[in-house]
Amino acid sequence: MNDPQRDAGATTLAASPGPTCDDAQLLRRIGQGDESAMAAFYREHGRVVFAQVLLVAGERVLAEEIVQDTMLAVWRGAGSFRGESSVRSWVIAIARRQTRDRLRGRRLRVVDDAFLADQPGSGPGPEVMALDRAELAEVMGAIRELAPPHREVLGLVFAAGLSLPEVAAVLEIPVGTVKSRLTAARTALSRKLNEKGQNR
Amino acid sequence: MNTDAADTHSPHLDLDDLLTEASGQAISDRAQEHLAICWHCRAEANRWNLVAGGVRALAAAAPESAPPARPWQMGPRVLAGPKRRATLAASAAAALVLIGGASYGMSAALSGHAPGTARTGTKTAALTAVSGCAGLEQADGTLEQVNGTSLAIKTASGQPVTVTTTASTRASMFRAPLSDVTDGASVIASGHRSNGTIEAGNVSVGLPRIRSGQVQTPSGVASVQGTVSDASAAGFTVVTSTGTQVPVTTSSATRVMIFRASLSELQTGARTIAVGHAGPDGTLSAIVVLQSPWHGRLQVNGCSPASIDDAITTALISGR
Repeated sequence: MNDPQRDAGATTLAASPGPTCDDAQLLRRIGQGDESAMAAFYREHGRVVFAQVLLVAGERVLAEEIVQDTMLAVWRGAGSFRGESSVRSWVIAIARRQTRDRLRGRRLRVVDDAFLADQPGSGPGPEVMALDRAELAEVMGAIRELAPPHREVLGLVFAAGLSLPEVAAVLEIPVGTVKSRLTAARTALSRKLNEKGQNR
Repeated sequence: MNTDAADTHSPHLDLDDLLTEASGQAISDRAQEHLAICWHCRAEANRWNLVAGGVRALAAAAPESAPPARPWQMGPRVLAGPKRRATLAASAAAALVLIGGASYGMSAALSGHAPGTARTGTKTAALTAVSGCAGLEQADGTLEQVNGTSLAIKTASGQPVTVTTTASTRASMFRAPLSDVTDGASVIASGHRSNGTIEAGNVSVGLPRIRSGQVQTPSGVASVQGTVSDASAAGFTVVTSTGTQVPVTTSSATRVMIFRASLSELQTGARTIAVGHAGPDGTLSAIVVLQSPWHGRLQVNGCSPASIDDAITTALISGR
């Protein structure tokens, strides 16, 4: 559904402004080898990165290692930050690459677009109704069981707080695909809840 | 928001609006007004809010991770498994001096705060900033206890919050009994429409008037606002502001939302949201307390009481 007042590619979840002065300054100092800046960077972004990685990787130890690797990459690559995105989305993109590398050949499976773009029906079916009946704790449990790409996109939007264009940049997919993946993730979540409801 | 003039039948919020709302960001006034009156969009917003709430709660429940090692100790990663863990543990211990309060910073950033709203004190870590009014906070969890005028809430991540109330604090809640639906009560009744009668799924009592005076609903579902007459165990009649009389039937499945309840009526063990201002000791001085299945993040248009009231009303009528 289009709003004529909105540009075709623009979204309400607009791209965040570029990096804040604080963030940019931190990265500059990190690039100069300032360890206290690295500590400050970790305080600012570490927890969000860890939660996102944990959501996708699903294992605490593995997630901690990936975050360590991510912070090492930040330490080494701070000078390469061009300021074309927010620092938050930049570091999450690094973490995502680290996660992908660690999971490659282990259990990360290729999920085709047809699966990811699985769309809900037009009316409120039983799955949607399952979501309507669900409690928060049930939803949390069902999210854990989603496919990694679905957990990933939900985490980027709702936990990491990235805008849709930022999520698109991190995932290296168009904004439209981000939206369809979000919708598919919700559909998959509803199905999980519906299955659980039927098994109760 | 879909404002296509050629599509007069689908003026609903689009996915961007719904995601924006679920992310706790401001949506346009027009979208907000539509959300306040459209059953379909409220249901969709509520579903996205629930998904967003689940994701945020999972992130908030994430355990502490080991702080990063000192940069010079973070050489190329060649170790794996237990051996690497041991190395990391040793370097992490050394890093504690460097990192200082990092572990709290990590905890606060995802312990229920909106992204970018991490606080500096540990006592408010269980509170979430309310978008649209600086200083307004929200505690969302389970009501553990009511002690006179104060409430004990435990958040989804297990953090306790003490909520204080005053005489002006409003408590609103859903509950099953229909005894509050009496002649003369101001209500909004919603449910399936059959032969001119509404089979009420929800009845909201004492809500301020919805601005447009009409609630949009999906096909087959109707909503009517007005004053109750002829209340009985089987239902009642709603007399609208234009004098139209709409029969409404009720059943044991009908849920009643009470806009103004007393604190003593709140149910322990129920999901509870308190909105107000945090004190220096971490307690929340509540403007409103809700017991509702609504999972959204409150969003206000400014700090005026009217604005906050509007947002609360929208949240309440979004309750399923």
